[in-house]
Amino acid sequence: MMHPLSNGKEGEEIVVRCLDCHCDDVCRLNELGCVEGAQGRIISNQKNVILQLGEARLAIASTLAKTILVSSK
Amino acid sequence: MSKEPLTIALVGNPNTGKSTIFNALTGLRQKIANYPGITVEQKVGTSIIGGVLHKIIDLPGAYSLNYKKLDERIAYETLIGSYEHEEIPDLALVVVDSSNLDRNLYLATQVMDLGIPVMLILNMSDVAKGKGISINPDLISNSLGVPVVAISAKNKSDIDQLKQKISESDLEVPEPLKWGPDDSLKEAMNLLINEWIKPYTNIPESARSIEALRLISEGEFNNAFYQFEKEEKGKSTIKKARELVEKGGGNPMATEVLSRYNFIGECTSNASSITSQTKASLTDRIDAVVTHKVAGPVIFTLVLLFMFQAIFSWATPFMDMIDLLFVEGGNWVANTLPEGMLNDLLVDGVIAGLGGVVIFLPQILFLFFFIYVLEGTGYMARAAFVMDGFMTKVGLHGRSVVPLMSGFACAIPGIMATRTIENWRDRIITIMVLPFMACSARLPVYALMIAAFIPSTTILGIFTLQGITFFGLYIFGIVMAVLAAFVMKRIFPTGQQTPFIMELPAYKMPKWSVVFQNTAERGKVFITEAGKIIVAISIVLWFLASFPKTEMPVLTQTDNTEYNSSFDVTENPESYQLRHSFAGQFGKIIEPVIEPLGFDWKIGIGLITSFAAREVMVGTLNTIYSIEEEDGESSTLKEKLINDVNPETGQPVYSIATAISLMIFFALAMQCMSTIAIVKRETNSWKWPTAMFVYMTALAYLSSFIAFQIGSNL
Repeated sequence: MMHPLSNGKEGEEIVVRCLDCHCDDVCRLNELGCVEGAQGRIISNQKNVILQLGEARLAIASTLAKTILVSSK
Repeated sequence: MSKEPLTIALVGNPNTGKSTIFNALTGLRQKIANYPGITVEQKVGTSIIGGVLHKIIDLPGAYSLNYKKLDERIAYETLIGSYEHEEIPDLALVVVDSSNLDRNLYLATQVMDLGIPVMLILNMSDVAKGKGISINPDLISNSLGVPVVAISAKNKSDIDQLKQKISESDLEVPEPLKWGPDDSLKEAMNLLINEWIKPYTNIPESARSIEALRLISEGEFNNAFYQFEKEEKGKSTIKKARELVEKGGGNPMATEVLSRYNFIGECTSNASSITSQTKASLTDRIDAVVTHKVAGPVIFTLVLLFMFQAIFSWATPFMDMIDLLFVEGGNWVANTLPEGMLNDLLVDGVIAGLGGVVIFLPQILFLFFFIYVLEGTGYMARAAFVMDGFMTKVGLHGRSVVPLMSGFACAIPGIMATRTIENWRDRIITIMVLPFMACSARLPVYALMIAAFIPSTTILGIFTLQGITFFGLYIFGIVMAVLAAFVMKRIFPTGQQTPFIMELPAYKMPKWSVVFQNTAERGKVFITEAGKIIVAISIVLWFLASFPKTEMPVLTQTDNTEYNSSFDVTENPESYQLRHSFAGQFGKIIEPVIEPLGFDWKIGIGLITSFAAREVMVGTLNTIYSIEEEDGESSTLKEKLINDVNPETGQPVYSIATAISLMIFFALAMQCMSTIAIVKRETNSWKWPTAMFVYMTALAYLSSFIAFQIGSNL
């Protein structure tokens, strides 16, 4: 079941399913390793989200997190 | 390897230890210069490898060559040799974080497509080991087709191993497109290259495939292409190329990225393994507190408070020592050299002017030390994350936090750091408000005024009123920056919003040698750059304050009524001479304009000279007060200010209201030619620096006026 990253819970293991954001933002997320199929863990979700992807830890604005669709692993 | 000197470029993601390697390779043989034609710092050094002196360039950190930020563009354009007088590097050392291999290799695969020899450096191999990650460099090397060396830049032996590997390198160019784009993407690339890029642009051959991939992915031109002819042809070709990718079942926006990551996955799956996985790392535990929505901002404020209190308290003994050194040195020169103009020039001009500024070197060193420590530990990125919500509300961006904090040291690196902000509107607002951040050049003025006029009362057992005032001035700068941004947000048109996204590096102990080396470098820049201006201005000022030579009339008390407008019998001859000098006359002309702010003509001269650079103010006051000082006297500038009396009114020149008014003026006025110049270069227009100068100086005048008028009537 897909849901926006912004709705994820702290500690939740997720798989990135779809990047439904502006082209520029998709590029930036891709460069940082946030590509479709990438697996990660939500470290913190207090409006803005901290997402652990592999060994990279990404801080993502809530507006952007709403456009990243993920599913629970 | 060739015995010819080579140009070697260090390229890599941010926080991969690139600069540590650069420092280890070059030692003290490095300098900070500007890229040709743009005011962007370029770190260049030399290193003797295999008996040959090579040039080493430390490129700005970049996540990819599909640049979105100026930093990334610089890295890319250096690698393809876009800059005049800057040749294409002979070797690219791609530095990757071994503990985050897949993500870092994305950039490496792009650099490998540029047709230059590449060597991969797996840095932080000790960190990777600590996380249970083991990597086989030989397997990585076989998969990628480039030499690979695993090191920890902290170890000297590893740096020697790296040098050895470089000296043995055969400088072979890696196979292009090794990551294997599918047929439809290859076809689309060829179409774009052959039908538009090759015939109609001057993009170098080595960069054509990267440019083609970028155009396919983005689907539109960026600024770099506006100058080329046949724009319509270019647009229709891009459209055709994207259609080819779509026909092949791919998404033009993602095909390249996914292909690269698939290739990287294949390379690393056999060559690296994780043997242990700790559930909650130290970084997790610290982040739970430091990035908390309530605790985070509180911690950020406490960090700033501690930093500024420490700068003020810890630097004091060193400042006292320097002060004593210059006072004693001045006395020694005065007593050793024969009396005359040279003696006056050296003692009252050069030594006094320079001493007035060098005294603040300890505080500046402490300030930069703290900033480099915060950067080195990984806290700066957290500060940006924690403050993003607030920053967005006031019209700034989370990414504005780091440039604004750099502005505490100096507006110039701060303004250059705004290059990481992609959105032009966010960037220009950050640039326009950044000079409100209390830079180190203001520090001498604040420190002098606070030490002279604010009591050192202890508060809550650990803080002093002086320290809190000092902190308050920094907070005042932040508040004014926020208010200005809030207003500008409503003035500037809203464009495409760029949401906050940033990598948070793992917490680590800063590399102390790098911290100390960078701090010392900044101290050296302060002394040499500011010193040059200060010595020049001090000499000119000494001349203006010493000439024309005017003898004080010898009068009795009863004659005073006749000459009371020109001198006071209680006045000393030096003070009389100063008042009638060129500087004195000019100061008197501008005095009516600054009198409502509580400033006399001597402060006025300081304000004029400090428009060159803020720190010149203290040197100017020191020169003026030294010239005015009676022969045989020697006191510190602080004592001179406290004891200065207006000969016409008999009242002290400085009150607490005057000191506060002066500090507010310095907090808000745009008094830095270098900042004006850098804003012009970064915005490529005189419009923004002019607007900045006018609005900041007007705001400074108005605020100082209000502060003095209220303060003096309390």
